[in-house]
Amino acid sequence: MVVFLAKRAGQALVAIFGVMTLVFFIQRLTGDPTYLLVPETATQEDIEAMRQSLGLDRPLLVQYLSFLADIVRFDLGRSFIQNIPVTDIVASRLPYTLQLAGGALFVAFVIGLPIGLILALARKYKSSNILMGVVLAAQSLPTFWSGILMIMVFGVWLGWLPPSGSGTFAHLIMPSIALGLLSMATYARIARSSVLDELSKDYVRSARARGVPQGRLVRRHLLRNSVIPVISITALEISQLLAGAVIVETVFAWPGLGLLTVQSVVARDFVVVQGVVLLGAFVTIAVNFIADILYSVVDPRIRLDGAGQ
Amino acid sequence: MRIRTALLAATCAMIFAQPLGAKELLTIDLVNEPTTLDPHMQWNPDSYYVYRNIFDNIVTRDNDGKIVPQVAESWEQISDTELALTIREGIKFHDGSDLTAEDVAFSVKRIIDPEFASPQLGQFNKITDARVEGDNKVVLVTDGPYPALLAQLVKLSVVPKAVVEEAGKDGFNANPVGSGPYKFGEQQRGVSVTLVRNDDYWGEKGEFEEAVFRAVPDAATRVANLKAGTSDLVVSLDSDLALQLENDPQVQLLTALTERVGFMGINTTREPLDDPELRKALAMAIDREGIVEGILGGGEKVVSQMATSAHFGYVEGIEPIPYDPEQAKQIVEAAGDAAKTKMEFATAPVFDQRIVQAIQQMLNDVGFNVEINMSDMATYLKTVQQPEQGSRPYLSFGRWSCACQDVDGVLFPLLHSGSNWSRVSSETIDEALETGRSSLDEQERLDAYKTVHQLVHDETLILPLYQAAALYGGAAELEWEPTANESLFLNRMSWKEQE
Repeated sequence: MVVFLAKRAGQALVAIFGVMTLVFFIQRLTGDPTYLLVPETATQEDIEAMRQSLGLDRPLLVQYLSFLADIVRFDLGRSFIQNIPVTDIVASRLPYTLQLAGGALFVAFVIGLPIGLILALARKYKSSNILMGVVLAAQSLPTFWSGILMIMVFGVWLGWLPPSGSGTFAHLIMPSIALGLLSMATYARIARSSVLDELSKDYVRSARARGVPQGRLVRRHLLRNSVIPVISITALEISQLLAGAVIVETVFAWPGLGLLTVQSVVARDFVVVQGVVLLGAFVTIAVNFIADILYSVVDPRIRLDGAGQ
Repeated sequence: MRIRTALLAATCAMIFAQPLGAKELLTIDLVNEPTTLDPHMQWNPDSYYVYRNIFDNIVTRDNDGKIVPQVAESWEQISDTELALTIREGIKFHDGSDLTAEDVAFSVKRIIDPEFASPQLGQFNKITDARVEGDNKVVLVTDGPYPALLAQLVKLSVVPKAVVEEAGKDGFNANPVGSGPYKFGEQQRGVSVTLVRNDDYWGEKGEFEEAVFRAVPDAATRVANLKAGTSDLVVSLDSDLALQLENDPQVQLLTALTERVGFMGINTTREPLDDPELRKALAMAIDREGIVEGILGGGEKVVSQMATSAHFGYVEGIEPIPYDPEQAKQIVEAAGDAAKTKMEFATAPVFDQRIVQAIQQMLNDVGFNVEINMSDMATYLKTVQQPEQGSRPYLSFGRWSCACQDVDGVLFPLLHSGSNWSRVSSETIDEALETGRSSLDEQERLDAYKTVHQLVHDETLILPLYQAAALYGGAAELEWEPTANESLFLNRMSWKEQE
């Protein structure tokens, strides 16, 4: 276990270092933010002065090394535009993203898993294909479109929910559904194939032969054994949700990290983008790590140190 | 009997003075949150909209665009390079302290200090000093005669010296203290800024007790908020979205012609555009009426000079070059191969691409070979401001506002050979622009600008297209007159319940 943890921590560090290096250089290739930070009427001297005050006049390698040195000291720098520490900005936006990702996962779970189970148990009926078709259609809707549609119907025409913004539980409902739809079909499909897989196993057949009722069979055996792929897919889905959040957060004016990323990329606020990407890389790696540990809890046959494989 | 009548009258007066359910909270949807609330630290519209309500400026403009007193009660040009301001007495900052001449001088010096690195420095760097004289007088010194000074002072906010010095840069930005009609309430990062009415304001007080400015990046969502009644005023709409407001009695479309001019930049130093005949063909090929009526349709106006009637330096009597694609075709044909040079047309996504594509089509229809070069805004800005004039793009689309309503802020950067944006090298123009920038005689300035407008027109040095309109959506009850300088002054808004 210790060996495994050390190995994974080492890999994580290398991965984060790689991501940060890539982001640093790719961003610098995309253009000079100075022009966005001064008025159009600024003279060449104004532009130079601004570039100097941001430290962008230094050679790229020097900028990179000082960036690494700052990271080691847990200093993420200051936003070019808002002129406040990136950690403050990220910290103020993170709770919103967590709420939204949680809401979306919940939506995906409560709709996706039961549908998958129904599809597996009702596989003999052709009509179950229609259900899958509906699920796939819901997933295929572009988020900006389904989002705007929901806003028009539930926000403007019916007036049931606030069209955009944050602050109350009601604000969370529409963005969670819009984002959750993306993952729902994935869960339904994974749950379906995983349950089907289990259904064909000997223990199910023998349980059925013993006369174990269907409900109990599902609760006691099928769900528990089908859950492993769901855990691993959740790790992947969380990264997917962070990407999907970019659009959902823009449409619903939800002030999470997705919206922050878009705004910072457009404004060439390199420092903020770096901060968000670092956090994103860290979260993705941490989630995968936790998923690994969870496997072994759910299924003790999987061992973390790799021995016995 | 008399007493009863008097009581009845008094009651009626009270009812009318304080309509039932008076609006206490005004909600305004901006595109982004303000990046800073320190008025000396930024220049973007979302910050302007908010902080201009917290701070008073040295002078301001009324709804008709006239410069009128604010912190400075009066002013006098005491020499070519000195402007004496008399500071109004009785203005208090939100912390209760008095606004003094010291605060005004401090504010000016703060923004012109290169160490402070204000992005607005370029607008004020002709000021070299601010001296306090006596109790209520401040003398501003410029490095030469500077006629656009007052127009710039419209944007210079007065901050309290003591508070700024004690709180420091970050502290002041987090908790700004001004003397304006609204006080800073709270800011939720990424979400909103709340302002609270300053009941002790010396000037016209606001009607709404509180105002919330929210960040709503998607324009369709802003319109949905307005229609759902969760916001009262939304900014930055385009003509398509404006159409959605038309048949809804709960909302209204508010528009104003701004001081922003849509134009096509032309590189007159580069072949084949160094030929004035070919440049004229560019102008003849573009149907400006068609662009304004057919594409924009938000109340925009065709212009014939790089200025609007909202600018000082606008000159009557210059006619646009008429739309004549047939003649343009003949000129291009006569020019032969030269006109076939592949010319890049630089643009960025923030500009209306429908216009850019229409222009490209119109130019290619008469025989030019124009190719759109679309890049992100930062790259676009870098491309058009290349240090070498000759390597700036052949053609570019842009919208220009100096936020100063003085043509010096438009013509100098776009046409003076020494400036970043210019693709024009003409001694006559340079001289006229320098006179316009340094003469304190209004007529002399107007004459100089007339020379420039006429030359721009005759030689097609740059192609003015239209005066842009600002489109806002408002609740039907909101009474507010948008202005050319695109400000949202809360104390100029009121609420009238519909019957």
